[in-house]
Amino acid sequence: MNPVFLPVRELAEAVRTRQVSPVGLAETFLDRLEQLGPRYNAVVTVTRERALTQARRAEAEIAAGGWRGPLHGIPYGAKDLLATSGGIPTTWGAAPFRTQTFEHDATVVRRLEQAGAVLVAKLAMVELAGGMGYRQPNASFTGPGISPWGDTWSGGSSSGSGSAVAAGLVPFAIGSETWGSILSPAANCGVTGLRPTYGRVSRHGAMALCWTLDKLGPLALTADDCGLVLDAIAGPDPRDPTAATRPYRYEGGEVNGRRFRFGVIRDVAATAEAPVREAFVRSLDVLRKLGTVEEVTLAELPYDAITRTILIAEAASAFEDMIESGAIAGLTAPEDRFTAYARDAILAKDYIRALRLRTLVVREADRVLSSLDALVAPARPAIASPLDQEFRSAARGNVPDVMGAIGNAAGLPAIAVPNGFTEAGLPTSLQFMGRAWEENTILAAARAWQAVTDWHRRHPGG
Amino acid sequence: MSEPAQDPGEADLRFALVRQRYGARLTAEQLEILRRAVASLVEQTTTLRAVPLANADEPLPRFVPFRADE
Repeated sequence: MNPVFLPVRELAEAVRTRQVSPVGLAETFLDRLEQLGPRYNAVVTVTRERALTQARRAEAEIAAGGWRGPLHGIPYGAKDLLATSGGIPTTWGAAPFRTQTFEHDATVVRRLEQAGAVLVAKLAMVELAGGMGYRQPNASFTGPGISPWGDTWSGGSSSGSGSAVAAGLVPFAIGSETWGSILSPAANCGVTGLRPTYGRVSRHGAMALCWTLDKLGPLALTADDCGLVLDAIAGPDPRDPTAATRPYRYEGGEVNGRRFRFGVIRDVAATAEAPVREAFVRSLDVLRKLGTVEEVTLAELPYDAITRTILIAEAASAFEDMIESGAIAGLTAPEDRFTAYARDAILAKDYIRALRLRTLVVREADRVLSSLDALVAPARPAIASPLDQEFRSAARGNVPDVMGAIGNAAGLPAIAVPNGFTEAGLPTSLQFMGRAWEENTILAAARAWQAVTDWHRRHPGG
Repeated sequence: MSEPAQDPGEADLRFALVRQRYGARLTAEQLEILRRAVASLVEQTTTLRAVPLANADEPLPRFVPFRADE
């Protein structure tokens, strides 16, 4: 059995029934990471020693009848902003931190270890999760993230998490999103990415960019796999006061016959690039077979400005020492070396006003979503850009992204799934965004989508 | 939602602060980029200020008192 490009669900069954050895699985993906990882600038550290230790333990436990569950013996990669013990560097994608180590594992890493998953790599990311205002792909000391679908940007900031899954270097990966950092690489790399509700997953041990916006979530080949991973990593954590106390259990299974209520914000795709808009229109025809699709309107609010103000103000505080000392001059992207200085011009009252306006956003989003299962929209308004060009980004302010602005300001869950390809062979992506804590609803919708489409089964070079 | 007129001096005043703090590290080209970035920030906050808020409109998240023994 070739395990590459098999969903976690299928790998898990092969591991459970001992058709596949966890050690063999780990070696397969470790080899791929070492051989193919550099092609995509996807990897910071291959954690071979730790992986083989974990894989041997999994193999022994399963042989003794102690199968822990669907992640037992399954390799994965972690975005390199998640702390890992044992001398494994945690670089935050930034040259000034390339030798940084921690004595502890992030809660997510610890929970995945408890589930029996095998850490095979720390994956590349945009330096400081893109918080210093990067404008083009070459913004990491590991080089620009490259999509396996062509010499185009992988998306970011969870760049390696997207490209490694897409290239079959890992069965799943963990990424983080402040605004777009899971959905963007999922879209550009043609994989499935889940942004959980804010607080669903503990951020203990993760680099802080924006305390009120940061979320951790999985990228994988299928929505079902994202659910399996979320089940393992979600839950309360006394070490993260923002982690919600409510428990989470993934409700997988068949969605045949379930009818969904989808909403589309008026003109949500109007500013998207033509191939994205066209793929979205085609997707709506498919979605109408899965349920109802209705147009919705939102109260007029400066959604992008609200979220952007919160993001840049909190990021400026999170990296205040680095900015004021001038240490940002050691970053890779030329624009990251000085543009954060402008953030001293943000007034406290403007930040607090943005937080007060956020309350209006939260209520408006819940009003709209209370009668829907999900809002649907393009996951990203633009297709992957060439490696040597500036990209369009809502966080930069040069393309509107009302879904991202609302979803991240309100901390709402969203999942990106492939929904087509451009004539040049680059993937496009569809997102389902749900009410707070409704991961199971949007996962069901995404599973229904993937039951009637095959975009997620296409792989680069295949 | 109407957008109030932006005070033409506000961006200059805020940029003066940035230049005072960091100007010695920056080239003329970088300073010009920062000047435009500050102007964009001021424009952004002008948009925020155009939305009426009532006294009772509180920010999220709310502050939570803390005790280590609870």
